[in-house]
Amino acid sequence: MNDSSPKTPSPPTPVPPPAPPKTPPPPKNPGMVTLSVDDKEVVVKPGTSLIVAAHQVGVKIPHYCYHPRLSLSANCRMCMVEASNAPKLVPACQATVAEGQVVKTDTPKVKAQQRAVLEFLLLNHPVDCPICDQAGECKLQDYYVRYDFKPSRLWGPKVQKNKRKVLGPTVLMDQERCILCTRCVRFMKEVAKEPQLGIFGRGSHERVDVFPGAKLDSNYSGNLVELCPVGALLNRDFRFKARAWFLSAAPSVCTACSRGCNVFADYMNQDCFRFRPRENAAVNQSWMCDVGRKSYRWAGENRALHTLSHGKPVSVDEALNRAASLLQKAQGSIGVLASPAASNEDLMAALAFARDVLKVNMVFVSGRPDGAADKLLMMADKNPNRKGLEYIALALGIELKPFETFTPSAFQAVWVLGGEMPESDIVMAARLKTVPTVVQAQHASEWAHECQVLLPVASHLETECSMTQHEGLLQRCRQAFPPKGDSAPHWQWVMRLANLLGARMDWSSAKDVFSTIAPRIPEFANFDWEGQAPSKQSRPGLPLPAASDGRPPAYRQFACPSAKGCSP
Amino acid sequence: MSHSESHSESHSENPKSAYDFWERLYVPALIKGMAITTRHFLRNLWSERDDNTEVLERKTQSLMATVEYPEQRVPYPTGYRGKHRLVPREDGKPRCVACYMCATACPSQCIYIEAGEYAPSDTNTASRVIEKYPTVFMVDVLRCIVCGLCVEACPKDALRMDTSVHTSPELERKAFLYAKERLLAGEPTQHPNDPWRHRKSSDEPLHAHKEAHTRIGEDP
Repeated sequence: MNDSSPKTPSPPTPVPPPAPPKTPPPPKNPGMVTLSVDDKEVVVKPGTSLIVAAHQVGVKIPHYCYHPRLSLSANCRMCMVEASNAPKLVPACQATVAEGQVVKTDTPKVKAQQRAVLEFLLLNHPVDCPICDQAGECKLQDYYVRYDFKPSRLWGPKVQKNKRKVLGPTVLMDQERCILCTRCVRFMKEVAKEPQLGIFGRGSHERVDVFPGAKLDSNYSGNLVELCPVGALLNRDFRFKARAWFLSAAPSVCTACSRGCNVFADYMNQDCFRFRPRENAAVNQSWMCDVGRKSYRWAGENRALHTLSHGKPVSVDEALNRAASLLQKAQGSIGVLASPAASNEDLMAALAFARDVLKVNMVFVSGRPDGAADKLLMMADKNPNRKGLEYIALALGIELKPFETFTPSAFQAVWVLGGEMPESDIVMAARLKTVPTVVQAQHASEWAHECQVLLPVASHLETECSMTQHEGLLQRCRQAFPPKGDSAPHWQWVMRLANLLGARMDWSSAKDVFSTIAPRIPEFANFDWEGQAPSKQSRPGLPLPAASDGRPPAYRQFACPSAKGCSP
Repeated sequence: MSHSESHSESHSENPKSAYDFWERLYVPALIKGMAITTRHFLRNLWSERDDNTEVLERKTQSLMATVEYPEQRVPYPTGYRGKHRLVPREDGKPRCVACYMCATACPSQCIYIEAGEYAPSDTNTASRVIEKYPTVFMVDVLRCIVCGLCVEACPKDALRMDTSVHTSPELERKAFLYAKERLLAGEPTQHPNDPWRHRKSSDEPLHAHKEAHTRIGEDP
């Protein structure tokens, strides 16, 4: 353009018409936005954030405050990336995509920013990883090693805050470790809708806290522990119990109510240490309630571990023989109590046994009594598989009767499947005293202890099984560890009883039970039993024999880091 | 058949290859052996042993190797990894904060820990500050391979193998499980960066300057 110098006189040329206003080129993919992230082309809907677009092509952008289920805050500045349409770095969680945009996530500018942010976050962080429960699943640790890995340049004391502040029944806070990402504040406000947390103070003295005189007593406060990217919010129940890297995770389902929240059961050896919510958009999103979170204990506490007869331990064969002869004698007049807390496979086997072997056409429904419900997840029905029991009974032609109509004296014997009862222990003991009773129960409650025969039952963490939640959705629980003591799943006891009573029931696994009986149940017919909720482990570990001579168990026998489930 | 034939053939090819004449006589070798035995006997009878473990550092010409254990003992070299000990604080409690780093590093999985929490009202400052401690700390010395990785892994200088004591013999397996009480031994140790030297408890200390409104030129 500079060539056309006005020095040489030239005949007046007509003024060229003004150039048409610059219009952006038409989008490459109409209706969508096309951009490139680290030289990879991404096609996303308009309005998508850069962090989501990058995730689609496998580019991981580090972030603290961003959470897909919470509102945007863009305060941690960890996700800053270079975008072609902005002069400065932009936060990838907040910036939306633009047509033809070129995004770079690993330029020296971005790396310098990430390092600066980490140095800033670690400025007042106490780095007390040895006593921090979050160590091993802490994003500050992970990102420091990945994006910073420089020694601290701070010379001088750090700001000291409260390291052991009890915020409520579930959560304990270490304010020094907090990086002020405000995930917890936003969760309480937006998801739990109980804004009990706030940010107080200014500058380096800023901290997350409850309002003066208030307590963090929401039923969803346990989620803050998972949400917290560092070890600032800790679960009081799990505190100091185990290190995260020793735990393995089995995909499972919470059995505390009929919602059926998806969880990871974190376990070591034959003990479960905690439940963590597992992502399922259809059921629980990323959350679970504190009641369910504490229900991991039910699988371990007060367990019945030995076959008992009148409260005295007997061998497994002896107990089975007694149970079989007791049921044989009362043939034709047996009351069956089935618990809607048992799994689908157990109930299938049990109801088939009741109909074909015990010749019973009605079953009384026991189960845990109703409890409190709330608006978010917790249901009033505390039994995880009531829907499954209904489906199975309907398909097998068995009539379900409410527990109130159950009168033990009308029967010559009672067979109880599952020890969960709506009545208290004392009432149950008094009611079942008059009739010979065979109980299959997970817990050694007083009434079950005194019965003619008690067959110990494995928990849902110790067996492969499935549950049907209140909307009729079938979900799988994977086996975490082998059953404790003599305990076995219901279907195994049922099979052995049936074989003693002369019937042929031949199942080798829970999958066998399901694939034999499920085709008769229309709701279960299309369920992919093997494929749902795959465990990252090929098989659960075996108990360590060296522990039997009184020596302590070894840590890594069950838990190897590669077997751990991905965090939500 | 053919195999045994070939075997005998190979012997008959060179029957004298194994031993020469003097060796086959046997007596000279016997005398030679007796000479070595006698030399060692006389050396042990008259000379003294040089205690230096490093051969190059030995001052004398003594080549005597026999140690009259247990009256005489070989001094352990520096860096000898002996029995584990839990290093105590000044107040006699272990420095250990039950972080499980040693148990994680241990290739033979011989360390078993259960963690507990000191009460916020504990009378001891150090206990109030570090919060966490081992309620059970057990080393299964039968499983231990004495590699010292646990000592390397310890971030708190709470575990050492500097006792120069080797594992004592026991009559039953269970006695090889060294519990916390047995491991807690040796000189108390303090470091300048021990957290309890910088604060009194895990509570928030009073910041005098916090939220103070001061103007330039005024005293706070």
